[in-house]
Formats: sequence, structure tokens, C-alpha cells
Amino acid sequence: MDPVLADAYSTVLSGAPYVIGAYALIWVVLFAFVVALLAKSKKTQRDIDDLRESIERRSRKEERQKGRDAE
Amino acid sequence: MTKTSSDAMGTRRRLPWETIAIVAVILGCALTTVDFLWAFLRAPMVAGARLEEPALIGGTVVTTKMLFSQKIFYFHVPVAIVSFAFVIVAAVYAVLFLARRSERYDVRCRLCMQVGLIFIIATMISGDLWTRHDWGVWWVWEPRLTTYFILTLLVIAYFILRAAIDDPERRARFSAVFAIIAAIDAPISFMITRLIPSSIHPVVLRSDSGLSPDMLIPFLCGIFGMALVGFGIYRLRLRIEEQAAEVEQLKREFEQTVA
Repeated sequence: MDPVLADAYSTVLSGAPYVIGAYALIWVVLFAFVVALLAKSKKTQRDIDDLRESIERRSRKEERQKGRDAE
Repeated sequence: MTKTSSDAMGTRRRLPWETIAIVAVILGCALTTVDFLWAFLRAPMVAGARLEEPALIGGTVVTTKMLFSQKIFYFHVPVAIVSFAFVIVAAVYAVLFLARRSERYDVRCRLCMQVGLIFIIATMISGDLWTRHDWGVWWVWEPRLTTYFILTLLVIAYFILRAAIDDPERRARFSAVFAIIAAIDAPISFMITRLIPSSIHPVVLRSDSGLSPDMLIPFLCGIFGMALVGFGIYRLRLRIEEQAAEVEQLKREFEQTVA
């Protein structure tokens, strides 16, 4: 390569790891946060579903009990 | 915590915030992708140190080295601007809480500070890598960096303060005041380079920024893209808070049925 051109582009190779690192780390930070949030949201939704099911089961049990008591 | 709007019949309809958030994230990712591709494929490299003799590159006489590390600018500045925005919005919610004493504003203030902290971390990482390559050091105590570091410490201190107070009302009140104080540093950090010129942080956002269209377009795409991504993340975080509140409500209901 022409030595003057090589000098003009000399910062490209030295700068590449830092540029790639900067872009990659920004995306990793944002992506990791989003993944953590989605995992938490999924777990909380499971807790909600379990609690609703438990409340419904208990309500049905109480209604059956009331029905038997009425008889 | 859901917002509603009224239609022509006066019936309150729920705004589709989840759909809006998903669309915002997708659009934000698309814009940041355009920013990334344009920055590397079209945007010219900026001038660095002077060459010993000129070179002819693509029909143009070049007399300086081409600074590849400047490409970090197209992501670093957008995430920094979005971090400022979230800290300021957190202060707005803090003011609303102090005025109306409604818990929902305290929650939104906290979430804005959380998302703001994520963008602050992203800004610090990218900025440090840029500084390391161009100046050979990980940190310099120049005005913008110093005020931004102070902002980082203030945002972290906000969460430490919240963790230190048990009483919910006192915690919300003290946190709101602290959020307002922290947000004062955001415009200072943004404007400091206009007051104290710095070679590391030239003033870019001005009418004669000197950015060519090939640099300005990806830069603006980056700002709007990151803002939309940030908004989507904030809405996702708010959804989780709503779910957590629902869990507490259901637990109380369950305990009542047991009793």
C-alpha cells in the first residue's frame, strides 16, 4: 500500500477495537437490561396466574362447602 | 396505572400503551440500525493529525489522518442525550409527586431514573473507550466529563437514598427532592461546553454545527432511535411495576379467602 495512504488510514486499525467495543457494549448493556426485564415480567405473570388459579380454586371450594351446608 | 381516553360516546377506552411501546422499540431499533449502517458506509471520517505529505483518496486531496474512532460519536452522543432526557423527565414526575402526593408519580420518577442510569452507563462505557483510544487515558477531568460524572453519582445516590428509608411516604418525598436536585446537573452538563469550550466535546447541537448531511442524518436517526428504544424500555419497566402491584393485590385477596 502507498505509504502516505497507509499513514492517512493508520488510525483505522488501531481504532477499530475501540469502535467495535463501544457499539457492542452499548447494545449489550441495553439488551441485557431488556432480557432481565422480560424474564422478570414472565416470572411475575406466572405468579399472577398461579394466584388467580388459587383464588378461584378456593372460591369454588367455599361455594361447594356452602352448598353442602345448605343441604 | 393505565391511562384511559374517552371516545365520542364518553366511554373510557384504555390506550394501547403496550402496543405503542412495542412499535416504539421496533422503530427505535430500525432507526439506530440506519444510524449504524449510514455511519460506517456513508458518513465521512473526520480529520485527525496532519500528514507529512498529502494523499489523494477518492479524487480528494487529504492532508490529515482519518479518525476512525470518531464513529463512536453516532451512538455515544444519542445515548448521552437520552440519558439527560430521562433524568429531566424523572424530575418532572418528582415535581408532580410533590404537588399531588400520588404514588404513581413516585413510581414513574424511580423508573425514569432507572432507565436513565442504564443510558448513563452506556454513555460512560462508549465515552471511555473513545477517550482511551484518542487520548491514551481512560479519563480526563474536562468540564463535560466532570459534570457528567457528578450526574452519574447523583443518580446512583438517588437509589441509595431510597434504599435507606423505610417509610414509603418519607422515601418518596425525599427521593423526589433529590431527583430534582440531580436533574439540575443535566442541563449544566449539556451546556457546559458552550460556557467552557473543550476540544474533546465540541458543540455539535447548534445551527452551524458543521455536520454535513451525511453526518447529520445518521446522528439524528441515532437520537430519535435511542429515544424510542428508551421509551419502550421505560414502558416495559412500568408494565412490570403494574404486574407487581397486581401480585400484591391478589395475595391480599387470597389471604382474605383463607381467613
